[in-house]
Amino acid sequence: MTDHVLECQNVGHWFGKTRVLHDVNLKIVRGEIVAVVGPSGCGKSTLLRAILGTHPPKAGAVLMNGEPVTSPGRARGIVYQRYSLFPFLTAQENVAFGPMLDRTTLPFRFLRSLGAARRMHKEHLNLAAEMLEKVKLGNALKRYPAEMSGGMCQRVAIAQALVMKPQIILLDEPFGALDEATREELQAMLLGLYQENLDAKRAGDPPPYTILIVTHELHEAIYVSDRVAGLSQYWAWDQAGHVSAPGATIVYDAVAPVFHPDEPREFGEFLEQREEIRSTVFEPEVPELPGKHLRFWKEIEAGKGPGVLSLSE
Amino acid sequence: MIRKPIPQSWRVGLGVASFLLLIGAYSYLSHRQLEENPDDRSIPSWSRLWSDGVVRVFTPNEHTGEVWIWQDFQATFRERLLAGMLVGVGVSLLVGLLMGCYDPLEAFFLPPLAFLAKIPPVAMLAVFFVLVGSGFEMYVTMIAFGIVPVLAQSIYHAAKDDVPDELLHKAYTLGASQMESIYNVIYKQTLPRIIDGVRLQVGPAMVYLIAAEWIAADVGFGYHLRLQSRLLDMSVVYVYLIVLGAVGFFLDFVLTRLRLWLCPWYGH
Repeated sequence: MTDHVLECQNVGHWFGKTRVLHDVNLKIVRGEIVAVVGPSGCGKSTLLRAILGTHPPKAGAVLMNGEPVTSPGRARGIVYQRYSLFPFLTAQENVAFGPMLDRTTLPFRFLRSLGAARRMHKEHLNLAAEMLEKVKLGNALKRYPAEMSGGMCQRVAIAQALVMKPQIILLDEPFGALDEATREELQAMLLGLYQENLDAKRAGDPPPYTILIVTHELHEAIYVSDRVAGLSQYWAWDQAGHVSAPGATIVYDAVAPVFHPDEPREFGEFLEQREEIRSTVFEPEVPELPGKHLRFWKEIEAGKGPGVLSLSE
Repeated sequence: MIRKPIPQSWRVGLGVASFLLLIGAYSYLSHRQLEENPDDRSIPSWSRLWSDGVVRVFTPNEHTGEVWIWQDFQATFRERLLAGMLVGVGVSLLVGLLMGCYDPLEAFFLPPLAFLAKIPPVAMLAVFFVLVGSGFEMYVTMIAFGIVPVLAQSIYHAAKDDVPDELLHKAYTLGASQMESIYNVIYKQTLPRIIDGVRLQVGPAMVYLIAAEWIAADVGFGYHLRLQSRLLDMSVVYVYLIVLGAVGFFLDFVLTRLRLWLCPWYGH
Protein backbone atom coordinates (compact mmCIF):
# COMPACT_ATOMS: atom_id res chain seq x y z
CA MET A 1 0.00 0.00 0.00
CA THR A 2 1.32 3.44 -0.89
CA ASP A 3 1.87 5.66 2.11
CA HIS A 4 0.48 9.08 1.12
CA VAL A 5 1.71 11.86 3.36
CA LEU A 6 -0.11 14.71 1.71
CA GLU A 7 -2.74 15.13 -0.94
CA CYS A 8 -3.92 18.21 -2.80
CA GLN A 9 -7.44 17.49 -3.94
CA ASN A 10 -8.86 19.75 -6.66
CA VAL A 11 -7.23 22.73 -5.01
CA GLY A 12 -8.34 26.11 -6.37
CA HIS A 13 -7.54 29.59 -5.19
CA TRP A 14 -8.28 33.13 -6.28
CA PHE A 15 -7.85 36.70 -5.07
CA GLY A 16 -10.90 38.73 -6.07
CA LYS A 17 -11.23 38.28 -9.81
CA THR A 18 -7.69 37.03 -10.25
CA ARG A 19 -7.70 33.25 -10.61
CA VAL A 20 -4.49 31.73 -9.33
CA LEU A 21 -4.87 27.97 -8.89
CA HIS A 22 -7.26 25.67 -10.71
CA ASP A 23 -7.96 22.05 -9.91
CA VAL A 24 -4.51 21.21 -8.59
CA ASN A 25 -4.12 17.54 -7.74
CA LEU A 26 -0.96 16.18 -6.21
CA LYS A 27 -0.36 13.16 -4.01
CA ILE A 28 2.93 12.97 -2.21
CA VAL A 29 4.28 9.67 -0.96
CA ARG A 30 6.38 9.27 2.19
CA GLY A 31 10.08 9.55 1.43
CA GLU A 32 9.74 11.50 -1.82
CA ILE A 33 11.53 14.73 -2.65
CA VAL A 34 9.10 16.49 -4.97
CA ALA A 35 10.19 19.61 -6.82
CA VAL A 36 7.50 22.03 -7.94
CA VAL A 37 8.56 24.30 -10.78
CA GLY A 38 6.68 26.91 -12.72
CA PRO A 39 6.91 30.31 -14.36
CA SER A 40 6.95 33.31 -12.05
CA GLY A 41 3.47 34.34 -10.98
CA CYS A 42 2.02 30.87 -11.57
CA GLY A 43 0.98 30.44 -7.95
CA LYS A 44 3.77 28.24 -6.56
CA SER A 45 3.85 30.25 -3.37
CA THR A 46 0.06 30.25 -3.13
CA LEU A 47 0.09 26.47 -3.40
CA LEU A 48 2.80 26.26 -0.76
CA ARG A 49 0.83 28.49 1.60
CA ALA A 50 -2.25 26.36 1.07
CA ILE A 51 -0.24 23.27 1.97
CA LEU A 52 1.35 25.02 4.95
CA GLY A 53 -2.12 26.01 6.11
CA THR A 54 -1.66 29.76 6.45
CA HIS A 55 -3.95 30.39 3.46
CA PRO A 56 -6.25 27.38 3.02
CA PRO A 57 -7.51 26.94 -0.55
CA LYS A 58 -10.85 28.43 -1.56
CA ALA A 59 -11.80 25.32 -3.53
CA GLY A 60 -10.86 21.71 -2.93
CA ALA A 61 -8.73 20.67 0.03
CA VAL A 62 -5.26 19.86 1.19
CA LEU A 63 -5.41 16.62 3.14
CA MET A 64 -2.93 15.15 5.57
CA ASN A 65 -3.75 11.67 6.77
CA GLY A 66 -7.25 12.23 5.39
CA GLU A 67 -7.81 15.38 7.47
CA PRO A 68 -8.06 18.81 5.79
CA VAL A 69 -5.27 21.27 6.58
CA THR A 70 -6.72 24.53 7.90
CA SER A 71 -3.87 26.12 9.85
CA PRO A 72 -0.10 25.80 10.14
CA GLY A 73 0.99 23.13 12.58
CA ARG A 74 3.89 20.96 13.56
CA ALA A 75 3.13 18.23 11.00
CA ARG A 76 4.54 20.47 8.26
CA GLY A 77 7.94 22.14 8.56
CA ILE A 78 8.89 25.15 6.49
CA VAL A 79 12.12 26.72 5.25
CA TYR A 80 11.76 30.13 3.61
CA GLN A 81 14.19 31.91 1.34
CA ARG A 82 14.21 35.00 3.57
CA TYR A 83 13.39 35.43 7.26
CA SER A 84 14.45 31.88 7.75
CA LEU A 85 15.62 32.19 11.37
CA PHE A 86 14.67 33.92 14.60
CA PRO A 87 17.25 36.74 14.73
CA PHE A 88 17.27 36.90 18.54
CA LEU A 89 18.37 33.28 18.99
CA THR A 90 21.75 31.70 18.30
CA ALA A 91 22.05 28.89 15.77
CA GLN A 92 21.77 26.33 18.56
CA GLU A 93 18.83 28.08 20.23
CA ASN A 94 17.07 28.39 16.88
CA VAL A 95 17.22 24.63 16.43
CA ALA A 96 16.34 23.97 20.10
CA PHE A 97 13.40 26.38 19.84
CA GLY A 98 11.05 23.79 18.27
CA PRO A 99 11.67 20.99 20.79
CA MET A 100 11.39 23.56 23.58
CA LEU A 101 8.03 24.88 22.35
CA ASP A 102 6.85 21.40 21.62
CA ARG A 103 7.76 19.69 24.86
CA THR A 104 7.49 22.39 27.52
CA THR A 105 4.91 25.01 28.44
CA LEU A 106 5.35 28.73 28.94
CA PRO A 107 4.93 28.66 32.77
CA PHE A 108 7.28 25.68 32.99
CA ARG A 109 9.97 27.61 31.13
CA PHE A 110 9.72 30.51 33.57
CA LEU A 111 11.01 28.09 36.18
CA ARG A 112 14.13 27.46 34.13
CA SER A 113 16.35 27.93 37.14
CA LEU A 114 14.78 24.89 38.79
CA GLY A 115 16.37 21.49 38.26
CA ALA A 116 13.87 19.75 35.98
CA ALA A 117 13.40 22.70 33.64
CA ARG A 118 17.11 23.32 33.44
CA ARG A 119 17.86 19.69 32.62
CA MET A 120 15.19 19.75 29.92
CA HIS A 121 16.58 22.97 28.44
CA LYS A 122 20.02 21.40 28.32
CA GLU A 123 18.60 18.31 26.66
CA HIS A 124 17.07 20.45 23.90
CA LEU A 125 20.33 22.32 23.39
CA ASN A 126 22.22 19.03 23.12
CA LEU A 127 19.72 17.75 20.59
CA ALA A 128 20.17 20.98 18.61
CA ALA A 129 23.95 20.65 18.74
CA GLU A 130 23.70 17.11 17.34
CA MET A 131 21.43 18.29 14.56
CA LEU A 132 23.76 21.18 13.67
CA GLU A 133 26.64 18.72 13.60
CA LYS A 134 24.67 16.76 11.01
CA VAL A 135 24.39 19.83 8.75
CA LYS A 136 28.11 20.52 9.31
CA LEU A 137 27.66 23.55 11.54
CA GLY A 138 29.01 22.13 14.78
CA ASN A 139 31.42 25.07 15.05
CA ALA A 140 28.78 27.82 14.77
CA LEU A 141 26.47 26.92 17.66
CA LYS A 142 26.73 30.24 19.45
CA ARG A 143 26.45 32.50 16.42
CA TYR A 144 23.46 34.73 15.81
CA PRO A 145 21.86 34.70 12.33
CA ALA A 146 23.31 38.15 11.60
CA GLU A 147 26.78 36.71 12.18
CA MET A 148 26.35 33.87 9.68
CA SER A 149 26.41 33.72 5.90
CA GLY A 150 23.24 33.07 3.91
CA GLY A 151 24.26 29.46 3.34
CA MET A 152 24.89 28.84 7.04
CA CYS A 153 21.51 30.37 7.90
CA GLN A 154 19.75 28.04 5.45
CA ARG A 155 21.56 25.04 6.96
CA VAL A 156 20.36 26.07 10.41
CA ALA A 157 16.85 26.58 9.04
CA ILE A 158 16.90 23.07 7.56
CA ALA A 159 18.18 21.65 10.86
CA GLN A 160 15.43 23.58 12.64
CA ALA A 161 12.82 21.90 10.45
CA LEU A 162 14.46 18.44 10.59
CA VAL A 163 14.71 18.34 14.37
CA MET A 164 10.92 18.43 14.64
CA LYS A 165 10.60 15.29 12.48
CA PRO A 166 7.58 16.71 10.66
CA GLN A 167 5.65 14.53 8.21
CA ILE A 168 6.69 16.80 5.36
CA ILE A 169 9.17 19.65 5.02
CA LEU A 170 8.29 22.50 2.66
CA LEU A 171 11.18 24.40 1.10
CA ASP A 172 10.21 27.72 -0.51
CA GLU A 173 12.98 28.63 -2.97
CA PRO A 174 15.42 27.85 -0.16
CA PHE A 175 18.65 28.34 -2.11
CA GLY A 176 17.50 31.17 -4.36
CA ALA A 177 19.61 33.86 -2.72
CA LEU A 178 22.81 31.81 -2.38
CA ASP A 179 25.94 31.70 -4.48
CA GLU A 180 26.50 28.77 -6.81
CA ALA A 181 29.02 26.89 -4.65
CA THR A 182 26.91 27.12 -1.48
CA ARG A 183 23.83 26.14 -3.42
CA GLU A 184 25.55 23.02 -4.71
CA GLU A 185 26.64 22.09 -1.19
CA LEU A 186 23.10 22.40 0.13
CA GLN A 187 21.70 20.48 -2.81
CA ALA A 188 24.14 17.70 -1.99
CA MET A 189 22.87 17.83 1.59
CA LEU A 190 19.32 17.20 0.35
CA LEU A 191 20.59 14.27 -1.71
CA GLY A 192 22.21 12.96 1.48
CA LEU A 193 18.82 13.02 3.19
CA TYR A 194 17.36 11.15 0.24
CA GLN A 195 20.02 8.47 0.62
CA GLU A 196 18.91 8.05 4.24
CA ASN A 197 15.38 7.56 2.91
CA LEU A 198 16.57 4.85 0.54
CA ASP A 199 18.54 3.14 3.33
CA ALA A 200 15.50 3.20 5.61
CA LYS A 201 13.30 1.80 2.86
CA ARG A 202 15.77 -0.99 2.17
CA ALA A 203 15.81 -1.82 5.86
CA GLY A 204 12.00 -2.00 5.81
CA ASP A 205 11.52 1.19 7.86
CA PRO A 206 9.43 4.20 6.86
CA PRO A 207 11.68 6.76 5.13
CA PRO A 208 12.27 9.67 7.54
CA TYR A 209 12.19 12.69 5.23
CA THR A 210 9.45 13.78 2.85
CA ILE A 211 10.26 17.07 1.15
CA LEU A 212 8.45 19.42 -1.20
CA ILE A 213 10.75 21.98 -2.74
CA VAL A 214 9.49 24.95 -4.72
CA THR A 215 12.12 26.33 -7.06
CA HIS A 216 12.42 28.27 -10.28
CA GLU A 217 15.73 26.58 -11.14
CA LEU A 218 15.12 23.67 -13.51
CA HIS A 219 18.53 22.10 -12.99
CA GLU A 220 18.03 22.20 -9.26
CA ALA A 221 14.54 20.73 -9.54
CA ILE A 222 15.69 17.73 -11.57
CA TYR A 223 18.91 17.25 -9.61
CA VAL A 224 17.63 17.20 -6.03
CA SER A 225 14.25 15.57 -6.51
CA ASP A 226 12.96 12.16 -7.48
CA ARG A 227 9.89 13.75 -9.04
CA VAL A 228 9.25 17.05 -10.79
CA ALA A 229 5.80 18.61 -10.90
CA GLY A 230 5.23 21.59 -13.18
CA LEU A 231 2.63 24.17 -12.22
CA SER A 232 1.65 26.51 -15.03
CA GLN A 233 -0.98 28.99 -16.06
CA TYR A 234 -0.19 28.18 -19.70
CA TRP A 235 -2.52 25.38 -20.74
CA ALA A 236 -5.42 25.05 -23.18
CA TRP A 237 -8.17 26.04 -20.77
CA ASP A 238 -10.34 27.17 -23.68
CA GLN A 239 -10.36 23.58 -24.91
CA ALA A 240 -11.64 22.57 -21.48
CA GLY A 241 -14.62 24.90 -21.84
CA HIS A 242 -13.39 27.88 -19.78
CA VAL A 243 -14.17 31.33 -21.16
CA SER A 244 -11.45 33.04 -19.16
CA ALA A 245 -8.16 31.90 -17.64
CA PRO A 246 -9.04 29.73 -14.62
CA GLY A 247 -5.54 29.78 -13.09
CA ALA A 248 -2.53 27.52 -12.98
CA THR A 249 -2.72 23.78 -12.73
CA ILE A 250 -0.31 20.86 -12.74
CA VAL A 251 0.75 20.35 -16.38
CA TYR A 252 3.79 18.18 -15.83
CA ASP A 253 4.43 15.33 -13.40
CA ALA A 254 7.21 12.82 -13.96
CA VAL A 255 9.97 10.93 -12.17
CA ALA A 256 13.39 12.52 -12.05
CA PRO A 257 16.72 10.73 -11.95
CA VAL A 258 18.15 10.14 -8.48
CA PHE A 259 21.74 11.16 -7.90
CA HIS A 260 24.14 10.18 -5.17
CA PRO A 261 25.57 13.24 -3.37
CA ASP A 262 29.13 12.16 -4.17
CA GLU A 263 28.46 11.51 -7.84
CA PRO A 264 29.86 14.10 -10.25
CA ARG A 265 27.09 16.24 -11.68
CA GLU A 266 26.34 15.40 -15.28
CA PHE A 267 23.80 17.96 -16.34
CA GLY A 268 23.93 16.49 -19.84
CA GLU A 269 22.00 13.51 -18.46
CA PHE A 270 18.88 15.51 -17.88
CA LEU A 271 19.02 17.97 -20.76
CA GLU A 272 16.19 16.16 -22.48
CA GLN A 273 13.92 16.32 -19.46
CA ARG A 274 14.86 19.92 -18.85
CA GLU A 275 13.85 20.81 -22.40
CA GLU A 276 10.58 18.92 -22.03
CA ILE A 277 9.72 20.78 -18.81
CA ARG A 278 10.68 24.10 -20.33
CA SER A 279 8.42 23.64 -23.33
CA THR A 280 5.53 22.16 -21.31
CA VAL A 281 5.54 24.40 -18.26
CA PHE A 282 7.25 27.66 -19.17
CA GLU A 283 6.26 28.15 -22.81
CA PRO A 284 3.14 30.33 -23.20
CA GLU A 285 2.82 29.62 -26.93
CA VAL A 286 2.12 25.89 -27.08
CA PRO A 287 -0.93 25.35 -24.93
CA GLU A 288 -2.36 21.92 -24.64
CA LEU A 289 -4.62 20.15 -22.20
CA PRO A 290 -2.77 18.80 -19.20
CA GLY A 291 -2.64 15.04 -19.23
CA LYS A 292 -0.02 14.04 -21.75
CA HIS A 293 2.82 14.97 -19.44
CA LEU A 294 1.21 13.77 -16.21
CA ARG A 295 2.90 10.39 -16.30
CA PHE A 296 4.39 10.01 -12.86
CA TRP A 297 2.06 7.29 -11.57
CA LYS A 298 2.23 5.38 -14.88
CA GLU A 299 6.02 5.49 -14.68
CA ILE A 300 5.90 4.15 -11.13
CA GLU A 301 3.56 1.33 -12.19
CA ALA A 302 5.95 0.54 -15.02
CA GLY A 303 8.77 0.34 -12.48
CA LYS A 304 10.62 3.29 -13.96
CA GLY A 305 11.10 5.29 -10.79
CA PRO A 306 14.59 4.95 -9.39
CA GLY A 307 13.67 6.38 -5.99
CA VAL A 308 11.91 5.27 -2.82
CA LEU A 309 8.80 4.25 -4.76
CA SER A 310 10.60 1.73 -6.92
CA LEU A 311 11.96 -0.26 -4.01
CA SER A 312 9.70 -3.16 -3.18
CA GLU A 313 6.97 -2.28 -0.70
CA MET B 1 33.70 63.22 2.73
CA ILE B 2 30.32 61.98 3.90
CA ARG B 3 30.56 59.25 6.56
CA LYS B 4 34.34 59.09 6.44
CA PRO B 5 35.28 57.47 9.76
CA ILE B 6 37.58 59.24 12.25
CA PRO B 7 39.95 57.64 14.79
CA GLN B 8 38.60 56.98 18.30
CA SER B 9 41.05 59.48 19.83
CA TRP B 10 39.59 62.21 17.62
CA ARG B 11 36.10 61.24 18.61
CA VAL B 12 36.88 61.51 22.35
CA GLY B 13 38.90 64.69 21.81
CA LEU B 14 36.09 66.42 19.91
CA GLY B 15 33.54 65.40 22.56
CA VAL B 16 35.72 66.86 25.32
CA ALA B 17 36.36 69.96 23.22
CA SER B 18 32.64 70.67 22.86
CA PHE B 19 32.23 70.52 26.66
CA LEU B 20 35.25 72.75 27.15
CA LEU B 21 33.74 75.20 24.67
CA LEU B 22 30.54 75.31 26.72
CA ILE B 23 32.52 75.92 29.92
CA GLY B 24 34.62 78.55 28.19
CA ALA B 25 31.55 80.34 26.83
CA TYR B 26 29.98 80.35 30.28
CA SER B 27 33.16 81.70 31.87
CA TYR B 28 33.35 84.48 29.26
CA LEU B 29 29.71 85.49 29.64
CA SER B 30 29.94 85.43 33.43
CA HIS B 31 33.15 87.50 33.37
CA ARG B 32 31.63 90.09 31.04
CA GLN B 33 28.42 90.33 33.09
CA LEU B 34 30.29 90.72 36.39
CA GLU B 35 32.54 93.42 34.92
CA GLU B 36 29.44 95.45 34.09
CA ASN B 37 27.73 94.76 37.39
CA PRO B 38 29.65 92.99 40.21
CA ASP B 39 26.38 92.22 42.06
CA ASP B 40 24.79 90.44 39.12
CA ARG B 41 23.45 86.99 40.00
CA SER B 42 22.19 85.85 36.59
CA ILE B 43 25.49 84.31 35.44
CA PRO B 44 27.50 83.76 38.64
CA SER B 45 31.23 83.13 38.61
CA TRP B 46 32.52 79.59 39.16
CA SER B 47 33.43 80.36 42.77
CA ARG B 48 29.95 81.75 43.48
CA LEU B 49 28.42 78.80 41.72
CA TRP B 50 30.34 76.56 44.11
CA SER B 51 29.73 78.46 47.33
CA ASP B 52 26.13 79.62 46.72
CA GLY B 53 25.06 76.67 44.62
CA VAL B 54 26.80 73.37 45.19
CA VAL B 55 27.66 73.85 48.86
CA ARG B 56 24.20 75.11 49.76
CA VAL B 57 22.36 72.44 47.90
CA PHE B 58 24.46 69.55 49.18
CA THR B 59 25.01 70.69 52.80
CA PRO B 60 22.56 69.34 55.41
CA ASN B 61 20.25 71.93 56.91
CA GLU B 62 21.48 73.11 60.36
CA HIS B 63 18.09 72.63 62.02
CA THR B 64 16.53 69.66 60.22
CA GLY B 65 19.67 67.89 59.02
CA GLU B 66 18.06 67.40 55.62
CA VAL B 67 19.88 67.81 52.32
CA TRP B 68 17.81 69.79 49.82
CA ILE B 69 18.75 68.05 46.70
CA TRP B 70 18.51 64.60 48.23
CA GLN B 71 14.95 65.29 49.34
CA ASP B 72 14.09 66.56 45.89
CA PHE B 73 15.82 63.63 44.25
CA GLN B 74 13.82 61.18 46.35
CA ALA B 75 10.54 62.89 45.52
CA THR B 76 11.15 63.51 41.84
CA PHE B 77 13.04 60.46 40.67
CA ARG B 78 12.69 57.68 43.22
CA GLU B 79 8.99 58.17 43.75
CA ARG B 80 7.23 60.09 41.02
CA LEU B 81 9.28 59.35 37.90
CA LEU B 82 9.82 55.69 38.78
CA ALA B 83 6.15 55.04 39.54
CA GLY B 84 4.97 57.02 36.51
CA MET B 85 7.36 55.24 34.16
CA LEU B 86 6.48 51.82 35.59
CA VAL B 87 2.76 52.39 35.08
CA GLY B 88 3.26 54.02 31.68
CA VAL B 89 5.62 51.33 30.35
CA GLY B 90 3.45 48.51 31.72
CA VAL B 91 0.28 49.84 30.09
CA SER B 92 2.09 50.65 26.82
CA LEU B 93 3.62 47.19 26.66
CA LEU B 94 0.31 45.44 27.16
CA VAL B 95 -1.70 47.68 24.83
CA GLY B 96 1.04 47.98 22.19
CA LEU B 97 1.78 44.26 21.96
CA LEU B 98 -1.89 43.28 21.86
CA MET B 99 -2.60 45.92 19.20
CA GLY B 100 0.26 44.55 17.11
CA CYS B 101 -1.13 41.03 17.42
CA TYR B 102 -4.88 41.42 17.08
CA ASP B 103 -6.63 43.55 14.47
CA PRO B 104 -9.80 44.22 16.52
CA LEU B 105 -7.70 45.64 19.37
CA GLU B 106 -5.70 47.67 16.86
CA ALA B 107 -8.93 49.11 15.43
CA PHE B 108 -10.24 49.84 18.93
CA PHE B 109 -7.16 51.46 20.50
CA LEU B 110 -5.39 53.17 17.61
CA PRO B 111 -7.75 56.15 16.99
CA PRO B 112 -7.90 57.32 20.64
CA LEU B 113 -4.16 56.81 21.09
CA ALA B 114 -3.37 58.79 17.94
CA PHE B 115 -5.72 61.53 19.15
CA LEU B 116 -4.40 61.63 22.72
CA ALA B 117 -0.82 61.73 21.47
CA LYS B 118 -1.59 65.10 19.92
CA ILE B 119 -2.74 66.75 23.19
CA PRO B 120 0.21 68.04 25.22
CA PRO B 121 -0.16 66.36 28.66
CA VAL B 122 0.89 69.60 30.34
CA ALA B 123 -2.19 71.24 28.87
CA MET B 124 -4.31 68.55 30.51
CA LEU B 125 -3.02 69.35 33.99
CA ALA B 126 -6.38 70.80 35.03
CA VAL B 127 -8.07 67.55 34.07
CA PHE B 128 -5.66 65.53 36.20
CA PHE B 129 -6.23 67.95 39.11
CA VAL B 130 -9.94 67.36 38.94
CA LEU B 131 -9.70 63.61 38.47
CA VAL B 132 -6.95 62.54 40.87
CA GLY B 133 -6.19 65.60 42.98
CA SER B 134 -2.79 67.21 43.39
CA GLY B 135 -0.89 64.47 45.24
CA PHE B 136 1.41 61.66 44.20
CA GLU B 137 -1.27 60.14 41.94
CA MET B 138 -1.34 63.25 39.83
CA TYR B 139 2.33 62.98 38.91
CA VAL B 140 1.99 59.31 38.09
CA THR B 141 -1.10 59.96 35.98
CA MET B 142 0.60 62.85 34.23
CA ILE B 143 3.67 60.81 33.26
CA ALA B 144 1.67 57.73 32.30
CA PHE B 145 -0.79 59.77 30.24
CA GLY B 146 2.09 61.58 28.62
CA ILE B 147 4.10 58.57 27.52
CA VAL B 148 1.46 55.89 26.88
CA PRO B 149 0.06 57.25 23.58
CA VAL B 150 3.52 57.55 22.03
CA LEU B 151 5.16 54.48 23.58
CA ALA B 152 2.18 52.18 22.98
CA GLN B 153 2.10 53.23 19.34
CA SER B 154 5.81 52.63 18.87
CA ILE B 155 5.56 49.18 20.49
CA TYR B 156 2.52 48.44 18.33
CA HIS B 157 4.42 49.40 15.16
CA ALA B 158 7.41 47.31 16.20
CA ALA B 159 5.20 44.29 16.96
CA LYS B 160 3.30 44.62 13.71
CA ASP B 161 6.07 45.51 11.29
CA ASP B 162 9.30 44.11 12.73
CA VAL B 163 8.15 40.51 12.96
CA PRO B 164 7.48 39.13 9.47
CA ASP B 165 4.48 36.81 9.08
CA GLU B 166 6.90 34.12 7.94
CA LEU B 167 8.49 33.93 11.38
CA LEU B 168 5.12 33.58 13.07
CA HIS B 169 4.10 30.87 10.63
CA LYS B 170 7.36 29.13 11.30
CA ALA B 171 6.75 29.35 15.05
CA TYR B 172 3.38 27.61 14.51
CA THR B 173 5.10 24.82 12.58
CA LEU B 174 7.42 24.42 15.58
CA GLY B 175 4.42 23.93 17.83
CA ALA B 176 4.00 27.43 19.32
CA SER B 177 0.68 28.42 20.88
CA GLN B 178 -0.71 31.96 20.56
CA MET B 179 0.69 32.99 23.94
CA GLU B 180 4.07 31.51 23.03
CA SER B 181 4.03 33.32 19.70
CA ILE B 182 3.38 36.60 21.49
CA TYR B 183 5.94 36.09 24.26
CA ASN B 184 8.64 33.94 22.65
CA VAL B 185 8.60 35.50 19.19
CA ILE B 186 6.97 38.95 19.04
CA TYR B 187 7.99 40.21 22.49
CA LYS B 188 11.51 38.79 22.25
CA GLN B 189 12.11 40.23 18.81
CA THR B 190 10.73 43.69 19.63
CA LEU B 191 12.43 43.92 23.05
CA PRO B 192 15.32 46.13 21.82
CA ARG B 193 12.83 48.47 20.15
CA ILE B 194 10.78 48.53 23.35
CA ILE B 195 13.82 49.42 25.47
CA ASP B 196 14.81 52.11 22.98
CA GLY B 197 11.25 53.44 23.05
CA VAL B 198 11.35 53.64 26.85
CA ARG B 199 14.74 55.34 26.67
CA LEU B 200 13.38 58.00 24.33
CA GLN B 201 10.39 58.58 26.62
CA VAL B 202 12.49 59.31 29.73
CA GLY B 203 13.08 62.85 28.45
CA PRO B 204 9.41 63.70 27.80
CA ALA B 205 8.43 62.04 31.11
CA MET B 206 10.83 64.37 32.92
CA VAL B 207 9.35 67.36 31.07
CA TYR B 208 5.84 66.44 32.20
CA LEU B 209 6.95 65.77 35.75
CA ILE B 210 8.94 68.99 36.17
CA ALA B 211 6.03 70.95 34.69
CA ALA B 212 3.59 69.39 37.14
CA GLU B 213 5.96 69.94 40.06
CA TRP B 214 6.45 73.53 38.95
CA ILE B 215 2.79 74.13 39.51
CA ALA B 216 1.66 71.85 42.28
CA ALA B 217 4.52 70.47 44.37
CA ASP B 218 6.05 71.45 47.69
CA VAL B 219 9.10 69.28 47.22
CA GLY B 220 10.96 68.10 44.12
CA PHE B 221 13.13 69.45 41.33
CA GLY B 222 10.33 71.37 39.65
CA TYR B 223 9.29 73.01 42.91
CA HIS B 224 12.79 74.14 43.83
CA LEU B 225 13.60 75.31 40.32
CA ARG B 226 10.50 77.51 40.36
CA LEU B 227 11.29 78.86 43.84
CA GLN B 228 14.93 79.64 43.12
CA SER B 229 14.15 81.12 39.69
CA ARG B 230 11.75 83.54 41.36
CA LEU B 231 14.44 84.51 43.85
CA LEU B 232 16.84 84.83 40.91
CA ASP B 233 19.12 82.48 42.79
CA MET B 234 20.74 81.26 39.61
CA SER B 235 23.63 79.46 41.35
CA VAL B 236 21.13 76.95 42.71
CA VAL B 237 19.20 76.79 39.45
CA TYR B 238 22.32 75.90 37.45
CA VAL B 239 23.31 73.19 39.93
CA TYR B 240 19.81 71.70 39.71
CA LEU B 241 19.92 71.77 35.92
CA ILE B 242 23.30 70.02 35.85
CA VAL B 243 22.01 67.34 38.24
CA LEU B 244 18.88 66.91 36.09
CA GLY B 245 21.04 66.47 33.00
CA ALA B 246 23.34 64.03 34.79
CA VAL B 247 20.44 61.89 36.04
CA GLY B 248 18.88 61.84 32.56
CA PHE B 249 22.24 60.91 31.07
CA PHE B 250 22.66 58.14 33.65
CA LEU B 251 19.19 56.70 32.95
CA ASP B 252 19.96 56.74 29.24
CA PHE B 253 23.23 54.92 29.87
CA VAL B 254 21.55 52.29 32.08
CA LEU B 255 18.85 51.58 29.50
CA THR B 256 21.40 51.32 26.70
CA ARG B 257 23.43 48.83 28.77
CA LEU B 258 20.24 46.94 29.57
CA ARG B 259 19.49 46.63 25.86
CA LEU B 260 23.00 45.40 25.12
CA TRP B 261 22.76 42.89 27.95
CA LEU B 262 19.26 41.57 27.15
CA CYS B 263 19.55 41.73 23.34
CA PRO B 264 23.15 40.93 22.37
CA TRP B 265 21.91 40.02 18.89
CA TYR B 266 20.59 43.51 18.16
CA GLY B 267 22.58 46.00 16.15
CA HIS B 268 24.90 43.56 14.41
